[in-house]
Amino acid sequence: MDSLTISDTQNNNNNANMSGVPVIELRDIHKSYGTLKVIKGVDLAARSGDVIALIGSSGSGKSTLLRCTNLLEIPQQGDILIDGEAVRWKAHHDERQPADAVQVRRIRTNLSMVFQQFNLWGHLTILQNVIEAPVTVLGRDPAEAARFGQSLLEKVGIGDKSDNYPSQLSGGQQQRAAIARALAMEPEAMLFDEPTSALDPELQGEVVQVIKDLAIDGRTMIIVTHDMKMAADVANHVIFLHQGVIEEEGSPDQLFKKPKSTRLRQFLSSTGA
Amino acid sequence: MGGTNRPFHPVLMFEFCADPKAIDGLKWMACYLTTPKHQQFYFSFLIVLALIAGTAPLVMLLGFCGAFMRRSAILPIKWLGHIYTSMVRGVPDIVFFLFVPIAMDQAFEYTRHRILCPEVTEPVYRGNDFVVCTAAKLPLSSSPQWVHETYGFILAMIAFAVVFGAFAANTIDGALRAVPKAQLETARAYGMSERQTFWRIHLPQMWTFALPGLSNLWMVLVKSTPLLFLLGIEDIVYWARELGGTKTSFFEYPHPDWRAWYFLSLLIFYLLLTWVSEKAFAALTRRVSRGMATQGGKDATAGNAAEPEIAGARL
Repeated sequence: MDSLTISDTQNNNNNANMSGVPVIELRDIHKSYGTLKVIKGVDLAARSGDVIALIGSSGSGKSTLLRCTNLLEIPQQGDILIDGEAVRWKAHHDERQPADAVQVRRIRTNLSMVFQQFNLWGHLTILQNVIEAPVTVLGRDPAEAARFGQSLLEKVGIGDKSDNYPSQLSGGQQQRAAIARALAMEPEAMLFDEPTSALDPELQGEVVQVIKDLAIDGRTMIIVTHDMKMAADVANHVIFLHQGVIEEEGSPDQLFKKPKSTRLRQFLSSTGA
Repeated sequence: MGGTNRPFHPVLMFEFCADPKAIDGLKWMACYLTTPKHQQFYFSFLIVLALIAGTAPLVMLLGFCGAFMRRSAILPIKWLGHIYTSMVRGVPDIVFFLFVPIAMDQAFEYTRHRILCPEVTEPVYRGNDFVVCTAAKLPLSSSPQWVHETYGFILAMIAFAVVFGAFAANTIDGALRAVPKAQLETARAYGMSERQTFWRIHLPQMWTFALPGLSNLWMVLVKSTPLLFLLGIEDIVYWARELGGTKTSFFEYPHPDWRAWYFLSLLIFYLLLTWVSEKAFAALTRRVSRGMATQGGKDATAGNAAEPEIAGARL
């Protein structure tokens, strides 16, 4: 059932993309925790092939914004459109919640997420991690999923680790496995939540290289990062968030070489970029 | 005791045992150890094993029910779960073992009495007596002896399950809480439904945290089986006392006080049982903690590591 629905929407998506509808569109997103307002009206649109880097200091709301995209966080206000399809809401006590659990799951399978702490499932081997969601959620054939999964592990350079458990791998290898897991969903877009922040500097390079390759392949990605060099190298659009609003956005050249706002200039000098 | 309608029929093992007074030495011992009462003694070991084997799945069932009730979003169900675990865990086991079978027996009989004998107008409680009509008796007075014994055994099994289920619920609830939230959030982020998240990620990872508590519980359950004796079931303790006591020349096989030997045999039986259990749990623990980022998981995974590698992640 699930897999049918998904392939149907993927066909629709392709049509939608050709007509120029953004893969991911956020309109006037507001998110607060109690009285603390974390995001105060943010708009964002990622078209097919876009690589958007979200930068900003800790607490600027960039991770929260990313997590609103696949509904791990529920924004109190604003619209989320995936391939032009708006998330439907229902009232729940004082707040709102997604009205359609099937829609939420469909959106999530289409937007694979890569986490700061990798979050590989500890009780499964690397290959099992990669094929888990394709088999249980998308209903793929296990043998076929394993073949595809193995090819993805080769692609990220850890084809020999497929039978190891995550705890036996280095951080960089774990993050590359997590990227293979995300790719195995054949998502329309990928969400990266500080993919290199938990890694020692000498291990960051291998992960950055994989993300660069994905950008060259034309993958649609939103990347929350502290790594300004990666943002400059990979992204075609950079968004600087400050205290829950977009302070400045534009091409990497504009933002990193000719920053307009004082805050961005301060931020860039503090990161040493 | 020792009617003819038991589930177990003793047999005469050796022809030469016909006249015990005429034999001695090994032959005497062989005949002595195979008397009908000894055969019942051996059979009672099977009863203990059956009790454990029958109770353990019930304990897990009640444990999961209790844990889910405590985790329920519906408040009355949550409270019921908490009442169950707190009450049972707060009352001495022996009190519960005595209470549950009697209470259940009377509840069943009372209900049957109300349904089957509506014509009886006298109250069920008459002074100190609990009187139900003949048709409401459980088991019926006309049923054979083994039905009575099985009924008592099942009531005992339920009593054990109720008590140990409460402890299991506590252990399972704690283990479910111990699974890192990020592991479950990731499952949801990959489109898994709540049910898929539970069966594919939450439950498999729960075992590594639950097994130490559950193995303790198993050991205590094994060691609690002599409580059957309290419920009037002819278990191994009953027979050890009965057979070991001094037998005068009135008996077919007279002997002095041999209770120490009989209790020694129980001691060895329980030691063997717990020793095998420990081995089994050690193997099970290795199995469920394979790969997990815990010390136990590290030890269990070390065997099949392709190469020794230190995780470079700051976790």
